[in-house]
Amino acid sequence: MPARRHLPHYLMVAPFVILFAVFFLYPIGSGLFYSFHDWNAVKPATFVGFDNYARILSSRDFERAMWNLGTYIIITVPLGILVAFGLALLVDSFTGAWGAFFRGAYFLPVVLPAFLAATIWRWIYTPNFGLLNMILGWFGIESINFLNDTSTMLYSLIAVDIWISAGFNMVIILAGLKNIPSELYEAARLDGANKLQQVVYVTIPMLGPVLFFVITYGLISAMQVFDKPWLLTGSSFTSYGGRRNALLFPVMDMMGRAFGAVKFGEAAAYGFLLTIAIVFVTALMFLVRNLRAPR
Amino acid sequence: MKTSTRLQSGVAALALIAAGVATPALAQDVTLEYWVYSDFAQGDALALQQEFISEFIAEHPGVTINITGKGDDDLTAGQVAGAASGTLPDVFMNAAGVGAQLVSVGALSNLYDQWMAMPEEYRAQFDEDALNICMPNPGELYCLPYTGFGSLLFRNLTVLEKAGIDTTTPPATWDEWLDQMKTIKEAGFYGIPDQTLVFNSIAATYAMAGDESNWGIDWETRTTKIDPEVMTKVLQMFVDMVPVNSGTSRNDQATKDLFISNQLAYHAIGPWVDPTYRQAAENGLDYDYVLLPSVREGDHGGIKSYEIIGVAPGDNQEIAFEFAAFITEKQQMVRWAKLLSRYNANAAAMADPEVADLPLIARSVESVKYALQTHPPYFVDTVPNCYLSTIIDFASATADGEYTPEEGAKEMIDELNYCLEG
Repeated sequence: MPARRHLPHYLMVAPFVILFAVFFLYPIGSGLFYSFHDWNAVKPATFVGFDNYARILSSRDFERAMWNLGTYIIITVPLGILVAFGLALLVDSFTGAWGAFFRGAYFLPVVLPAFLAATIWRWIYTPNFGLLNMILGWFGIESINFLNDTSTMLYSLIAVDIWISAGFNMVIILAGLKNIPSELYEAARLDGANKLQQVVYVTIPMLGPVLFFVITYGLISAMQVFDKPWLLTGSSFTSYGGRRNALLFPVMDMMGRAFGAVKFGEAAAYGFLLTIAIVFVTALMFLVRNLRAPR
Repeated sequence: MKTSTRLQSGVAALALIAAGVATPALAQDVTLEYWVYSDFAQGDALALQQEFISEFIAEHPGVTINITGKGDDDLTAGQVAGAASGTLPDVFMNAAGVGAQLVSVGALSNLYDQWMAMPEEYRAQFDEDALNICMPNPGELYCLPYTGFGSLLFRNLTVLEKAGIDTTTPPATWDEWLDQMKTIKEAGFYGIPDQTLVFNSIAATYAMAGDESNWGIDWETRTTKIDPEVMTKVLQMFVDMVPVNSGTSRNDQATKDLFISNQLAYHAIGPWVDPTYRQAAENGLDYDYVLLPSVREGDHGGIKSYEIIGVAPGDNQEIAFEFAAFITEKQQMVRWAKLLSRYNANAAAMADPEVADLPLIARSVESVKYALQTHPPYFVDTVPNCYLSTIIDFASATADGEYTPEEGAKEMIDELNYCLEG
């Protein structure tokens, strides 16, 4: 009887549940299944226990990819948010058409197709006569091979990434800034706070939830970084990661194992390791936020 | 009762007629999905492909062929995923170098029996080396060789003349070529792109000192066939080229721009840059193309590679093979070569008088005689990413002075064998 009473409710949620099960739960379950199998996508899968996980965890490529990822995250997430925050403050200080112009200008890289952005930056980074090397040349600095010198490759990627992501984060932070009541700034000014103090004691605390979103989203995106390093290094399924794997990242490694080496079982295991890492980092973010939240 | 019987008979008759009509139609109503590289599916190349398709359809009523262009990685990913999901295209192009992956996922039919059933006249048309690539073992043929290339050395004649170099004869040996590049650098130009940045340019340089016996992979022992002495010589070449190179890779747009703007003397690459350079020639670019020299006089370096046509297993396999055989046949390949002035694996087409005299083709035919395959043998096992990247890493590192050529060669080979062990 209660089941019949709730039937309309079940029917109403059914479309979502069905689509969620087919396009989300099933692929996850299937991926988990294959992560314990040697499987090339066609031949029958052979159960191999944790071999795929062990092989990945002990591989040099995984070690290198995780090292690159760690360094990339540590720099790109805080720096990216700092740049976006600065841009948001700058754009917020403009009104009318200028505000709209700068908002649009800074957001432009977000809507550029990744391959176009990569092409532009490959040009900028070109040794000897690329834009950046020409500018460096004016100061007597020798040409740098930004995308092939292992000591500069990661930082070159980070610059591109910040250039692209800053506009997106800026728009979100800007929306947060617009929601801060102006009375708070007036009160701060009356209390003698200068501009910097207003930012530190009013803007940042009021932007807490927005910054939490931007940081969490930034972390999750950074952990899945793929297209930019792939394009900057001119990678393909048979050769990727750039010189000395200086721009090898986990998703690239996973794609290479799947479509280059045709080891879908290993790639599935890789996907799960990455998912576990993302879930762990996200959970940690929420935990930190809850611990810091006023009770 | 009568009415009912009449009705039943009528329905049965209609069903029979329908079946009678439908049966032969079903046998012929086939739609073939045909995947090609994206540059085969645009402009003049697409128009010619569509002409081939129309001609084939005219001979095979009821057949429909949909052509789809895809980028390199999309082509491979689509074929691997298609094999897994049963949605493979019926006929498709890809590089011979990814043949092993495609065989391992069952994307390629063994066409041997159908091939052997073809007339000898047809089978004899193909370049023997190219055909051998598709036949890894007796009784196996996984593809029909299609298009291809051999390395060419594009020369910017304006730069060479400004540097005071005689352009009437190309450099005969590596030493002569290096001397020319040094002169070019002294005159304020770049000699060549950085040959260590892309696997194929390293392979092309290796071919200047090595040969088939010491290049590629021995899959039985899972070891590299690279000879340390030859690789030492090659790494020394990269060291020697450091002062004269542009720092850009052979594939960079910047390299083409340097060449077009008369700042770069040599560009060792495949013939696909020729349309760009030919267009630039209308605005004053003076260039030609010759064979890469070798360390030995009379010999040449460079690589060759082939694109293949594969046929997927399944219900349409027979008609798909017929289509594959049709497009790779001499007459079509002659038209293809004439349109694009590009080399292909149909030796009979390449020898056709209408084609053989086209300068780019004549030079390419000559080039493939000397060139090495990129990473042979194909269709045996998948070359791991670490193999190609190790070669690039050690070539670049040695050029940068991190290793001596001897150390670089030794460590590279150790690392390659470690990589192949898996």
